[in-house]
Amino acid sequence: MAVKIIESCVNCFACEPVCPSNAIYEAKPHFLVDPKKCTECEGDFPDFQCASICPIEGAILNSLGEAINPPGSLTGIPPEKMAEAMAELQSH
Amino acid sequence: MQLPVLNDAPAAKSGCSASSCGTTDNQMDSLPDSIREKVQNHPCYSEDAHHYFARMHVAVAPACNIQCHYCNRKYDCANESRPGVVSELLTPDQAVKKTMAVAANIPQMTVLGIAGPGDPLANPERTFETFRRLSEEAPDIKLCVSTNGLALPDAVEELSKHNIDHVTITINCVDPEIGAKIYPWIFWKNKRIKGKKGAKILIEQQQKGLEMLIAKGILVKVNSVMIPGVNDQHLAEVSKVVKSKGAFLHNVMPLIAEAEHGTFYGVMGQRGPTPDELQDLQDSCSGDMNMMRHCRQCRADAVGMLGEDRGDEFTLDKIEDMEIDYQAAMEKRKVIHQAIQEEMDSKRLEKSAKAAQHKAEPKLATRPVLMAVATSGQGVINVHFGHAKEFLIYEASPDGVRFISHRKADQYCGGDTSCGDGESVLQVTVRALAGCEAVLCSKVGYEPWEMLETAGIMPNGEHAMEPIEEAVMAVYKEMAAAGKLDTTPEAARASA
Repeated sequence: MAVKIIESCVNCFACEPVCPSNAIYEAKPHFLVDPKKCTECEGDFPDFQCASICPIEGAILNSLGEAINPPGSLTGIPPEKMAEAMAELQSH
Repeated sequence: MQLPVLNDAPAAKSGCSASSCGTTDNQMDSLPDSIREKVQNHPCYSEDAHHYFARMHVAVAPACNIQCHYCNRKYDCANESRPGVVSELLTPDQAVKKTMAVAANIPQMTVLGIAGPGDPLANPERTFETFRRLSEEAPDIKLCVSTNGLALPDAVEELSKHNIDHVTITINCVDPEIGAKIYPWIFWKNKRIKGKKGAKILIEQQQKGLEMLIAKGILVKVNSVMIPGVNDQHLAEVSKVVKSKGAFLHNVMPLIAEAEHGTFYGVMGQRGPTPDELQDLQDSCSGDMNMMRHCRQCRADAVGMLGEDRGDEFTLDKIEDMEIDYQAAMEKRKVIHQAIQEEMDSKRLEKSAKAAQHKAEPKLATRPVLMAVATSGQGVINVHFGHAKEFLIYEASPDGVRFISHRKADQYCGGDTSCGDGESVLQVTVRALAGCEAVLCSKVGYEPWEMLETAGIMPNGEHAMEPIEEAVMAVYKEMAAAGKLDTTPEAARASA
């Protein structure tokens, strides 16, 4: 039972101090979660603390491997709109 | 067609002190002496000082506690120049080293700011460690910090300990309805809070923080991002509120939003304001509040004079090899600062003498004109048109000359020689000067000369090394004498 930080992490340090279990540590190329320490905040907070401050959609996964913050949930940009803008840029 | 003549508005602003009126540009004029004393060599707070002094930001604060729709937390690009963008994150130790290296090599650097790339107060340990060490090791550097305000009330006590006498709060609204359209979420008391509820908490914290800083005697500047259709109508109200609480300067900045930035506003097609819209809003707020018009919206790791970035000279590997004797540097800095101060003082005197002389002359009854100026500092026209990375825009009118804004020649991107739709840099630059009727620089090449003339912008290289305001007034008088101000610029262009 642990969350996981994946490669889309931008190393902003925000999650590290809010973890109640000190399970998050700075690493290269990005921050990591020590699965032995992570409690998924159980007993401390109702929400995952790291995923509640993380600004990057999809950067933190739950124990089922699902994005806790799915595309569009934080920026408010509908995923299809983002895909459209990126396709437009690449065509230039 | 005869245009109405501007005698009072908008050039003759209220609160302009008699001693330096006539050139109506300086937002410092209406400040009490005690505040002017504090800000007169701060390039970000004093329009006058920004011609002489430099600033730097150190990027020690990556974490943020809110999301703004104009910010993309993934961004990192060396060619971009705008807030929130950095290339190299520093530890407090590296930041102190870099600051001292810059201070020794660019003695005009008087101000060190922490502005991100996240929120400095959401990284209190890294931010305060940097301030603590710099107050001890480099006491001749002014420290400032820029924040979204969410964590501000909790930080005021600590801020007041480090002798940080300037704080900037970004306040885009005082109404949660509007806030919900700017801030999708905040992180507050262990929860991510979205929408209006989050915006309401943020606004309350900002206002509380502002009041607490004022009570401690710390100067507060307010930044607002002008977002057409979202908060443009509302910012005059923001200006009133923050002034009544004691903020000394309001800096209304244009939204920067391009799809390639990947921000909400960029991707969703929210446009930024035109230079005219920005100027109108700044003018309408200026009756209530001192406006700041020379802001360059720096990167969170910018180094140098406003409008320039010398960060490349001070990368981590380069400062590693620099041996800095800060005691010796401080001696040198003191001498240089004194000389600059004397130069500024004497120019200020000259300026008021000229202004008095201008007042004594028969008053023109002509329309105001915008002119672009190419300068790299010292308050004189000293840059070749083709070398100008930005232009300062001045308005000349029968009331005098006032600074309006700056416009970037190369539009936020310095990486490419041609941009987007095959438009040349020159075309982009000429377009950036839309609305101006003359451009004053040290020299202009043949090709740009023709393009400028075609665009109705008169190139002028006759005032190289002359003080900006005097040159602008001289050109204005020439235009008046030549009968160019009897018609509208559009009509003049049609008949050209």
